Amino acid sequence: MSIRKLKSAVLLAMLAPFVGNAVWCEDAPAGDAAHGRSLFVTVGCYECHGRVGQGGTFNYAAPTLAHMALPLQGFKVLVRMGLNDMPAYKEQVLSDQDVADIHAYLSSLPGPRPVKDFPLLNQ
Amino acid sequence: MADPVTQTSSGGDFMVDVLKTLDLEYLAMNPASNFRGLHEAVINYGMNQKPEVITCPHEEIAFSIAQGYAKIEGKPMAAICHGTVGLQHASMALYNAWCDRVPIYAIIGNIVDAEKRLQQFEWVHSAIDPAAIVRDYVKWDDQPAALQHFAESAIRAYKIALTPPMGPLLLSLDAELQENPIPDRARLRIPALTRVIPSVADSGALAEAAHMLVSADNPVLICDRMARTPDGMTHLIELAEALQCAVVDARGRMNFPSRHPLNHSERKAAVIGEADVILAIEMNDLFAVTHSLSDRIERSTRPMYKSDTRIITLGSRDLLIKSNYQDFGRFTAVDMAIAGDGESSLPLLTEQVRKLLDAHRKTAFAARGKRLADAHRSVTEQFKSSATIGWDASPITTARLCAELYGQIQHEDWSLVGNGISVYWPHRLWDFNKSYSWNGASGGSGLGYNAPASTGGALANKRHGRLSVAIQGDGDLMYVPGTLWTAAHHRIPILYVMHNNRAYNQEYMYLQAMANRHNRGVTKAHIGTTITDPNVDFATVAKGFGVYSEGPITDPAQLGPALQRAVAVVKRGEPALVDVITDQR
Repeated sequence: MSIRKLKSAVLLAMLAPFVGNAVWCEDAPAGDAAHGRSLFVTVGCYECHGRVGQGGTFNYAAPTLAHMALPLQGFKVLVRMGLNDMPAYKEQVLSDQDVADIHAYLSSLPGPRPVKDFPLLNQ
Repeated sequence: MADPVTQTSSGGDFMVDVLKTLDLEYLAMNPASNFRGLHEAVINYGMNQKPEVITCPHEEIAFSIAQGYAKIEGKPMAAICHGTVGLQHASMALYNAWCDRVPIYAIIGNIVDAEKRLQQFEWVHSAIDPAAIVRDYVKWDDQPAALQHFAESAIRAYKIALTPPMGPLLLSLDAELQENPIPDRARLRIPALTRVIPSVADSGALAEAAHMLVSADNPVLICDRMARTPDGMTHLIELAEALQCAVVDARGRMNFPSRHPLNHSERKAAVIGEADVILAIEMNDLFAVTHSLSDRIERSTRPMYKSDTRIITLGSRDLLIKSNYQDFGRFTAVDMAIAGDGESSLPLLTEQVRKLLDAHRKTAFAARGKRLADAHRSVTEQFKSSATIGWDASPITTARLCAELYGQIQHEDWSLVGNGISVYWPHRLWDFNKSYSWNGASGGSGLGYNAPASTGGALANKRHGRLSVAIQGDGDLMYVPGTLWTAAHHRIPILYVMHNNRAYNQEYMYLQAMANRHNRGVTKAHIGTTITDPNVDFATVAKGFGVYSEGPITDPAQLGPALQRAVAVVKRGEPALVDVITDQR
């Protein structure tokens, strides 16, 4: 299991109590990455996480989301509840479909590339 | 008796004589009538040398330049303004300097005697106690009643300002005292300046601290405004290497090299969570650095350290705290609080640590150091990997911005004299290893600091031939754009690289959080928080002030060449600005 997947699994385990109270539909709608990209900007996710999910800062580091391996269900828990200082996005603001679309966008984003290919990062 | 029309001496001349004994290189100012006497004496009697006038289009610029200068040069420069309208403009800069523990030699003019005030503006420019509005955040102030009084207070002020914990001081100078002839020059004396030797902490207390640190499994050193001189970083390296322990640098000063394997500032939570003994050196807000803070509906805090972690503080912070402004942070219970200047006390502490080292401990410490070095290397590689995400994106990522900038300056004798809010990439990617590599942040988190303070840092770097660079937020520059004119006018070599995200982004995020709490959507969070419609063309703004500029640059492929051309301008001794359209953070 990759470190990224392991982190996701740990996060999901932490979030398990909330999952039981989930109010969204269990059959996750298929996400529209193009719409998710638009939403990612209009609802302000990019303010902390960067337009291409590269991560950023709010009161402290905001995690990288590009090429996210977190399953949709866990992602919804995070979006609905917020984690640390992240604001919670409820259904009135983001529908289940919207969340799925954003998830599809983030999953479609390329993750990190080999550092050796970037001379400027080997200075 | 005829009304005299000329005079052969003035109080201002004597004031210049006094100021020259203090080796003040510069006097930043926006000109004002109630210090016209001293102003004229500086440029004519003093030949505009030590101090040399730095002309600024706003008092906040003048005083912030002094703050940035002092941190690089290790000594104060002077700044002067009107006692009423000027000081109100300068007050924010003084507050930043106070919170940042930086000496500024601040002077204001006043007309004390009501009979001497003529026009209405001289009444509105006078006050009974002009220093009152800033007294909460200057270390000491005085309004001398006579020239001898001025001489003694001027020397005292310098001495107080430079004694740790340092801070700005303020002298209010009566216009009559500046302008009128000197009644009896032979009677006046300029006292010699004797600087206070910073206090070294109690040797017994340091011995006990050394014992705690050496006995610990995972000691951690945390520091903020520790390094006062180039020796500060050397002393901290020696202590950290003797202990082979983690260092968390809150970066109020250039305390510790960024690429040192014991630098774990980017693993703060991990190393503080494992710590059994923490030594906190010259911390301003230890609580904030050692706790997780939750900014939710129910605000809460949680210590990062274990319940049995022992905490030692070392520094001068406890020696000077005022009441009104709450810059001292939340109270933190500690096991041992040692008063003394951090930098001066470190050599003795290190000596005490070394006395306790035996072969067994050296072996254990070496193993600890290796673990920490591995973790440092791993985190660095993670950062580099993260920096590749969105490498070709537009707006340009802050990681790409900082990587491109470092590519242009890494072989120069560079100095990052200012940085935009929460742009962490330089400390993650660059090799900060000299005492002037980094010049700290504002202190009071007051916008309008970065542009002028960076310029002040560059002014200090100028005579050392260093290449000064500032990563410059757009919101900050909107407060004090006239700074660019000062840089151009005085040929201050500095490269401003705009981190132009077209927003007061931290406030945008706060507003977003408030809107989400109320389930009202976030589509209006841009109202009052963004700097768009129209977008600001900072390259044109800079050109208008006589500064070489390029931009706005939106294509990351164009960034490196633009920076290269701008660096060439700065190396010729002029300022330059490159406007880069960036992602938010």
